[in-house]
Amino acid sequence: MVEKADLFKNGKRLDGRGPMDLRPLKITAGVLERAQGSALVEWGRNKVLAAVYGPHEVLPKHLADPTKAIINARYIMAPFSGQEEHGRSGPNRRSIEISKVAKHVFENAVLVDQFPKTMIDVHMEVLQSDGGTRVAGITAGAVALADAGIPLRDLPVGLSAGLIGEHMVLDLDKYEDNLGDSDMPMVILPRTGEILLSQMDGLLSREDISKAFDMIFQGAQKVRDKQIEALRTSYERMAAQAAQGETQ
Amino acid sequence: MILEQIKQGFIRELADKGQREDGRGLLDYRAIKVTKGFAPNAEGSALAEIGRSKVLCGIKFDVMTPFADRPTEGVVMVNAEFSPVAHPEFRAGPPDEKSIELARVVDRGIRSAKVVNVDNMLVTEGKVQGIFIDLYILDHDGNLIDTAALAAMAALKDAKVPKFEEGKIVRGTSSGSLPLKDIVVSTSFEKIGKTIMVDATDAEEIASSGRLSLGTANDGKVCSSQKSGSAGFSKDEYLQMIDWAHEKRRDLLAKI
Amino acid sequence: MKQLVFPGDKVADEPRRIPGCYIEDGKTYAANVSLQSDDHVVPLKGYYVPKTGDDVIGIVEEERFSGYNLALNSPYGGSLSARDTRDELKLRDAVYVKILAVNEVKEAVLIEPQKLQPGSMIAVDSVKVPRIIGRNGSMLDTLAKFTGSRITVGKNGVVHVEGGNAELAMKAIEKICRESHTSGLTERITQMLEQETRNAPRAGEQNG
Repeated sequence: MVEKADLFKNGKRLDGRGPMDLRPLKITAGVLERAQGSALVEWGRNKVLAAVYGPHEVLPKHLADPTKAIINARYIMAPFSGQEEHGRSGPNRRSIEISKVAKHVFENAVLVDQFPKTMIDVHMEVLQSDGGTRVAGITAGAVALADAGIPLRDLPVGLSAGLIGEHMVLDLDKYEDNLGDSDMPMVILPRTGEILLSQMDGLLSREDISKAFDMIFQGAQKVRDKQIEALRTSYERMAAQAAQGETQ
Repeated sequence: MILEQIKQGFIRELADKGQREDGRGLLDYRAIKVTKGFAPNAEGSALAEIGRSKVLCGIKFDVMTPFADRPTEGVVMVNAEFSPVAHPEFRAGPPDEKSIELARVVDRGIRSAKVVNVDNMLVTEGKVQGIFIDLYILDHDGNLIDTAALAAMAALKDAKVPKFEEGKIVRGTSSGSLPLKDIVVSTSFEKIGKTIMVDATDAEEIASSGRLSLGTANDGKVCSSQKSGSAGFSKDEYLQMIDWAHEKRRDLLAKI
Repeated sequence: MKQLVFPGDKVADEPRRIPGCYIEDGKTYAANVSLQSDDHVVPLKGYYVPKTGDDVIGIVEEERFSGYNLALNSPYGGSLSARDTRDELKLRDAVYVKILAVNEVKEAVLIEPQKLQPGSMIAVDSVKVPRIIGRNGSMLDTLAKFTGSRITVGKNGVVHVEGGNAELAMKAIEKICRESHTSGLTERITQMLEQETRNAPRAGEQNG
């Protein structure tokens, strides 16, 4: 049984990471055939799949916004995604709230003015969860949107920080999230440094929060690098297939 | 509703000049009034009013099965009902994303600061105390989160723990006030254009492009944070709002 | 030298109207994953949004009293007034048409319809259209030469092929779309067309 005291010993966290270390992160773009855009994020033991459909017509029509596209963000956890027993299918209160705050991220990052009266669906399916699924989901959603060719101001990046005792650490896993003292998931737009998602629980002083911000801004660069790598690899894969396509 | 939509442009113009429709300063709350014990059948209750917004909070105790991994811990559940009486756009039916968000944000503040000490709430073998905090939105003129958080905190202060006999609750009795370890209030900021203001009215919320709700606890701590809406906030704006939230805390505490 | 740019990458220090880019605070940034060479930025993927003056191919999806609604391979549709239509159109007819105007919600007003004969159609990403047409129409000429088909390309990414060796033409167009961002494409397409027609009767010599 993991206990709180195990979380931080001799400068190292339970899985051996230092405070600023991220878990291994792998992002793959264009993993689905039917969706306009898609991405798989494998972050530590998290696996989150994002898929984008649209821009498409809004139904019922009266919900359409004549000035911009509406974002339909959907964050959902598969019943087999957690380590405990089978969860219920379908959205619960937590996933509805996360869908809402995720929607706000994409409402900012997507150039919604370019597609009035349409809807863009961003689905974030958590296939396996181990702490930090909302930031993983939104990070995946960003790549899926770019993969779909939907215009973006920048790729939003998600990352969490948290307090374990007196240590502020980045990228909390499940144990740190559950047993630690505070959890701050954040999503930023790297180009401008704007905070697009910010939630928090626990008790933090202003100094704690300021430090968490700085750490997140620094760590976010590494996440963005992975997003870019995913999109670049997807393009190179396509180009390689094209070159091989001579035989077709 | 239509009226509020039309007003958007006007409100934005005022905001650009640092002004507001009702003449308030950017950091001024509207009149705040709290009435404890408003719904005496509940074990604790309070009606909170900020300007024209009204939220009634009722607290009921019960005996419940605890969570499997925390067998002696009491269970606190916060729910919000956006009653159709409060606004022409509220529909009867299951909670929508805004009402779920409000309930969870108020819950997080109370839980993070451990306002209610839920350790050792065993009532009998396999059963613990359950505390239901129900937020009834009765009138919506903006800033429901702060109003609801105020109602919840005041209701918690008003609450009397009933007696439990042989594993059952005995309604109408009291074994004393609910012990509280901290006091949490919420301050919400709206961003209109580049201007940030506190305690927005419904019309100001419609004109707003982003919101930050901060829960504060004792000792200068922030216990919850929820950013909403599409506008982004810079780190400096965020830290500034933390400072303002602590300032406003004094005014809000005085009302409970 | 072509390089990939990503959403948020700065493309210019002044405001410039470049496809796949947006302007903010007086600077131009990429909005899509695109290939950039000097000043030229081409998004890898895109959505057709109706633009005044474009010639597009639409499919009739609704007949109204006053005219027709056409699907344009876009989140936005177009309308054709009965007044402007010589032939009578039916559901699912393909029409080559010009965009006269686009309203604030990006719906297109269409004129000068030419009903297209039954044939094969494919809807591709509109960013591929320049490749299918080629410099000064050279790719289209090559396709027509080897297949003898009548090929109509709408700016909205709808391609209509009729007559001749339509199957080969479609195959070539699909290949162009798949490999649109690679170099040496023109040679490979020509090679493929030569190969395919060497093994089969030449275009124009098929049954009748």
